[in-house]
Amino acid sequence: MVFVGGAGVLAIAREVQIPLLAVLLIGGCAAKARRALGARSIDAGIGPTGMFPFSLQRPAAIVIFVSELALGVGLLVTAGRIGVGLPAVAVRAATFVLFCTAVAALAELRSRRPDVGCGCFGDVSSTPVGWRTMTRAALLGAAALASIGVPPLHMLGSVGRFGEALAVTVAELALLAVLSPEIGELMVRLGRAEPCELRRVPVAKTLDTLWASASWRRYHRYLITTTPTDVWREGCWRFAVFPGILASRRVEVVFAIYMSGRHAPIRAGVIDIDTPPATSPSSRYSSLTVYRKSAILKNKINIASNGPG
Amino acid sequence: MTSRGSQSHGGQVRRKAHVCAGCADLTDSGPTTRYARRALLRAAIFDSPVFDGHEHEFWAHRPPRAAAVVTGVLAEVTPQAIVVSRSDGDQFIAVSPSTVTWLGAKVSPSALRAGDPVIVRRRTQRLVSGGPAPDGAPPGHGPAASIAERIWARIGRVAGEIMEVRGRELLVDTGQHGREPERVVIAEASLRHVQVRFPRLTPGYLIDVIGTRRSDGYLLAVTPATAQPPYLAAHPPAPPPAGAYSGGPISGAAVWHQPGDERADLLGVGYAALDPETEGGSAGPGDAAHQHEPCARLPYLSLGSAVRVRNECADRAAVLPVTSCSASARQFCDRCVKCGTSPRARVADLTMAAFVELGGNLEDGCFNATLTLAG
Repeated sequence: MVFVGGAGVLAIAREVQIPLLAVLLIGGCAAKARRALGARSIDAGIGPTGMFPFSLQRPAAIVIFVSELALGVGLLVTAGRIGVGLPAVAVRAATFVLFCTAVAALAELRSRRPDVGCGCFGDVSSTPVGWRTMTRAALLGAAALASIGVPPLHMLGSVGRFGEALAVTVAELALLAVLSPEIGELMVRLGRAEPCELRRVPVAKTLDTLWASASWRRYHRYLITTTPTDVWREGCWRFAVFPGILASRRVEVVFAIYMSGRHAPIRAGVIDIDTPPATSPSSRYSSLTVYRKSAILKNKINIASNGPG
Repeated sequence: MTSRGSQSHGGQVRRKAHVCAGCADLTDSGPTTRYARRALLRAAIFDSPVFDGHEHEFWAHRPPRAAAVVTGVLAEVTPQAIVVSRSDGDQFIAVSPSTVTWLGAKVSPSALRAGDPVIVRRRTQRLVSGGPAPDGAPPGHGPAASIAERIWARIGRVAGEIMEVRGRELLVDTGQHGREPERVVIAEASLRHVQVRFPRLTPGYLIDVIGTRRSDGYLLAVTPATAQPPYLAAHPPAPPPAGAYSGGPISGAAVWHQPGDERADLLGVGYAALDPETEGGSAGPGDAAHQHEPCARLPYLSLGSAVRVRNECADRAAVLPVTSCSASARQFCDRCVKCGTSPRARVADLTMAAFVELGGNLEDGCFNATLTLAG
């Protein structure tokens, strides 16, 4: 058996990225297509398209789908001697740009729509976007960058080199699996466990999760009572509303608790009860966007001073 | 027809446990206000305005309004038009030769009478104007007018468990909390037609019929809304395993229900899987409410949750709020064959206005539908 050195492993690792990226991109497209066929609607997918205005969601979904499919196929076509030179560099550079854009889009999605998944692999990507999803996109971007300049792929000449390539592939897939919330979702669907949308979860358990959270510690001092005035549920999210006083104004603090996983995300928002409803929905909702930052909170509900510290 | 002795005791009809035990508080708490508030609070966190796909109208601020549907009471009927009286004023709707009118069967618009409750699907059309066009408008384009496509008068529906049978008269428990059993009389001319689809007109079995509402409150059934499920209402089939839930769109049948305490023009969905923990239910595994699991795996939702319902037969979709608990969607494990054969489940129990707005014809009873969470 012939063992290769560190430089050899690095070269193999760079070579492996091309088929790996292609498979992931084409697999993602297949999953998206499956979802679109199931819904009989192209824009039924979840993910970054949800940030676009309604009229642009469909074109955005098509652009994302076509881009991913074209790059996936392009990576395969230009992997050998056919596209050697500029075409291969262009496709791999475009893949790098795609994943860089994805990282930015996911960060924005996490901020604006923290309740939705990335939609990267259709239905199974419904877990809210978190650091794992963003790290995965960044890792794939790095993989695309590493693939630029790789010479045309050829058959591995020895068992040793094949073993090295296999080991690198398995290690990278394991890392991607750790960074993929879709794996847990798939395990639930393949197994007998009930998805969180179908699971009966006692309110007391949800409130226990809430009371142990950082969001609760941040806001509970503004609450009049720790008994929620309303509790309801939407799929995996349960909402609890508490009356409060903030800067001498009556407010309602609403928490959203994700009912799956040990480190379930919890979001909080505040509504100023005394503010009359705005005439325009968009202006009303643009003033209630993000509440996790105290400065934004003070600004959004028009409290100039003595807001939360 | 099979007639079995009454199950009543001392004049009181025995009521089975409510299928929707979790709905006990909905009518008391004012569902419209409640769901609108929840949508607002939800948006405070997720900033996810929901559009109806047509007018980019955010429904959470006020109940969604139908664009093509008018409900009310007939104030006047002429050969050329009808006037529908509504709470916000009278609505003038023109009648054309292509207008389809239903009053127990397809009839001429002249069969309508003032005082009939109606629901109308209309289209807006520019009238051809012979005079000079106003405001520089192109010639031949006059003012817009509402023209009735379809008119349903005095239409009603009863779906539930047969409690008592006396000849052609049935007493049906709809499973909704606080509602007395409904009296249904099957029209003599329709008896055979109904019996073809509902061969077991005996207590304990399910029935779902459409007909005309009579002045003293009973329903004169003229057509079956679906085919009779083969099981007893108390013994529905087991729900599918959790693995059957994919997290994606859920296909099945969309049906409609008559408004109880709801506004007649409300656009909304009765849903079969309201969260039993938060929607007033304390049902455990031994309770009737828990026994009646819907036959599709549906995610738990609450009043005010947004769902997208798509009429697969008319290719129309809308985002609608969940406004009630649907007993019939829990009881009936049936298919819709309006266009193809749907999976066996009632995924949406629409209000009449929503059903018509989505392109459904009330006398058909259902359309093939796909339901997606729209939050």
